[in-house]
Amino acid sequence: MKKLRAKSGIMVVALAVGLLLVGGAVSYTQETETITVTVRCRAKPPMENWRGDNFLLATEELNADLKAAGDPRRVEIELIQDNMDWGPYLSEFVLGFGAGEAPDIWLTGHEYIGAQAEAGRIIALDEMLKEFPTFNLIIDGLWDSTTYKGKIWGIPQDAEARPLYFNKALLKKLGWSDAEIAALPGKIEKGEFTLYDMLETAKEAVARGIVELGNGFWTRPKNGPDFTAFYYAFGGETIDPATGKLVFDTAAGLKYYQFFYDAAQTYGSMGCLGLGWGEAWHPGVSGSKVLFWIGGTWQWAEWAEIYLKDLGGEAYMWENFGFGLIPAAEKGDKPNSLTHPLAYLISSQCKYPDLALALIAKVSNYGPNTRHAIASTHLGILKGQTEYKFYKVSRLLSETLYMLDYTTFLPNNPYWGPYSTITYEALAAAVGGEFTPEEAVDFVVDGLQRELGDKVIIR
Amino acid sequence: MKKKGQTGEGELPLPISSKAKNRTFSRLQGRLAPYAFLAPALIVVTLFFFIPLVMVFILSFTNLDMTNFGILEWWRPANWSLDNYVKIFTNRFFPKILGNTLIYVALTLAFFNVGMALVIALITTHINRQAGFAFRALWLLPRITPVVVYIMMWKALSGPAPMGIINNFLGVLGIGRGEYLLNTHPWVFVILVNGFIGASFGMILFSSAIEAIPKDYTTASKVDGATTWQTIRYVILPMIKWPLLFVTTYQTLSLLTSFEQIMLLTDGGPRLYQTEVWALTAYHRALTSYFGNTQWGYGSAWAVALVVIGIIMAIIYLRVFKFGELVEEPKIDRL
Repeated sequence: MKKLRAKSGIMVVALAVGLLLVGGAVSYTQETETITVTVRCRAKPPMENWRGDNFLLATEELNADLKAAGDPRRVEIELIQDNMDWGPYLSEFVLGFGAGEAPDIWLTGHEYIGAQAEAGRIIALDEMLKEFPTFNLIIDGLWDSTTYKGKIWGIPQDAEARPLYFNKALLKKLGWSDAEIAALPGKIEKGEFTLYDMLETAKEAVARGIVELGNGFWTRPKNGPDFTAFYYAFGGETIDPATGKLVFDTAAGLKYYQFFYDAAQTYGSMGCLGLGWGEAWHPGVSGSKVLFWIGGTWQWAEWAEIYLKDLGGEAYMWENFGFGLIPAAEKGDKPNSLTHPLAYLISSQCKYPDLALALIAKVSNYGPNTRHAIASTHLGILKGQTEYKFYKVSRLLSETLYMLDYTTFLPNNPYWGPYSTITYEALAAAVGGEFTPEEAVDFVVDGLQRELGDKVIIR
Repeated sequence: MKKKGQTGEGELPLPISSKAKNRTFSRLQGRLAPYAFLAPALIVVTLFFFIPLVMVFILSFTNLDMTNFGILEWWRPANWSLDNYVKIFTNRFFPKILGNTLIYVALTLAFFNVGMALVIALITTHINRQAGFAFRALWLLPRITPVVVYIMMWKALSGPAPMGIINNFLGVLGIGRGEYLLNTHPWVFVILVNGFIGASFGMILFSSAIEAIPKDYTTASKVDGATTWQTIRYVILPMIKWPLLFVTTYQTLSLLTSFEQIMLLTDGGPRLYQTEVWALTAYHRALTSYFGNTQWGYGSAWAVALVVIGIIMAIIYLRVFKFGELVEEPKIDRL
């Protein structure tokens, strides 16, 4: 009988515990609501993975904040991150939006903001930003890149410089002393070493067989932001501040196309257009086959991590590669660089933009942003980041920081895509010798007027 | 008076009415059955071919692109115009793209899809049967290899010395400078890559057609003292005229619309539009661009114009090969 009583006692306790657990679980699920926030990032693995991975770490912190604030919502992240080309990446967002499946947070180049804002696919963030003082840390100038028609549409994620790299070993073969090589970035900054000085040096290297014909000076192999920096160097403008319309300056355009025509036809350069990135371009520049080339700071990490790891990675690169600003077109003019900030945008299909923005605020702080900056050799976006203990460890980031003082941007205009395609086609034709510089300008004027009509101003 | 089919009192009405109903039902069933069998295919074709075709046709008259997607009411005739077609034919690079397409189709067709296919078929049907079969099976490898893997292999083969195998051979022969051959000779590779796949199709059809020729004919020609070439020229080729027409027509249309190998291999480069063919332009305009300004309307116009060209070429082929005569009933059957 005693045994039976003890048994029933255990059962009662077990039942009570069970009921408590079930009740607790039920009450928890009733009180909290789990919200999935979709984050779509483009990142070259492994260097740029922090762009998305930082959100995974931020989730726990945000959920703790929500709990403390008595907010019943909890966040989980669905992260989609790959290295898709920009064109298909944009198509994916636009078509996904059309199907009602746009990601909540979309990381993209700032120049897409105009088109997406016009189409109503992203939301303006001005009012919401005030609730997250972290955003006050972002360098003021970078907000210009995410501002369209007076409103802020995105949070800058990273920035970079696009330096003119040079191969020190090849310059030495050309007879340059260590002191001369070390002085080159300074001469470029002062406007004493111009774009045509660079071509002359390249021509000499080709003539003496130090580099192959075509390898004196390289740009990127396909269309992209870098070319605009050269157009700016020759005095070109892309946007009319008064009307916000795109601008093509024919006088600057003629000099710009003349430069690339000369580079290919006369100075043994520009044998780069059309090359595959992985098959020929990166192996070419990192393999010391090219004297001067335009690249991005983020490529430094790529060369160290992928192409030159066996030779010693960064140590080898510091020994053999140097960098400066993109030289001025004329002696005494200001050199430049171009930064192309990526930005986190919030889709207008996002049901909880406040949570999305809270997550972005978490990843826009010193720790997470520095992790990305160091791993991918992108420049930081935060005020005082250069003083941050872990940021200072990157020599490249410290040595390229001054380039932000000379930086330029792409315009934030919905029609930048067709503008860029037309101006690049003319450049490729001039480099290939199919167009004279004058024909290139005519082609651009004709193409822009046909494609964009009064949306572009021809000067 | 009872009408036929009516039933009187006390009789069971069901059987006759049921019979009539059954008859009607089975007649209906007989009429509908073919459509029921066709329905799945019809639905698939309508959904995934016919409707997209009509949409592409309509889109080709609009300026729908990434910037106005969701804003432009492309289905309204008020937004239709011929501008895209004018743009195609006034495009500065149009002659180059057209020329590339003609070169690509003509050379691949002549040297591989028909030429090489015929040579392989003739050789493999004139040697030991098993050896011929094995040789033909080898030629099928490019076709059954996944296209991305296949192109990666070609990229590796054409790589710079010392990694690229072709360059290694050329180096031994003292030819070339070991450069990346895909950049220096892109057209050679575009044609080789496509031709190696394309040749297998004609090879199979021609081989079976040649093997189907009664041996009596070739034996008779040998008895008459014909050389091998004369046997091929005057006996075999006339008897495989129908597969020749089919392969030439089919492969022309196939090459006109194919671009995936070129896209993966050179993407139309390396220099501006150097290996860009019509179908690739349609794809590029409609679906790719660095800054995402994909022009769906304009790209559709390129695609529609290509369809028209394809139809015209098919009609020309049918006339040249006298298709009507080929499908005529044998005269002996008419007697």
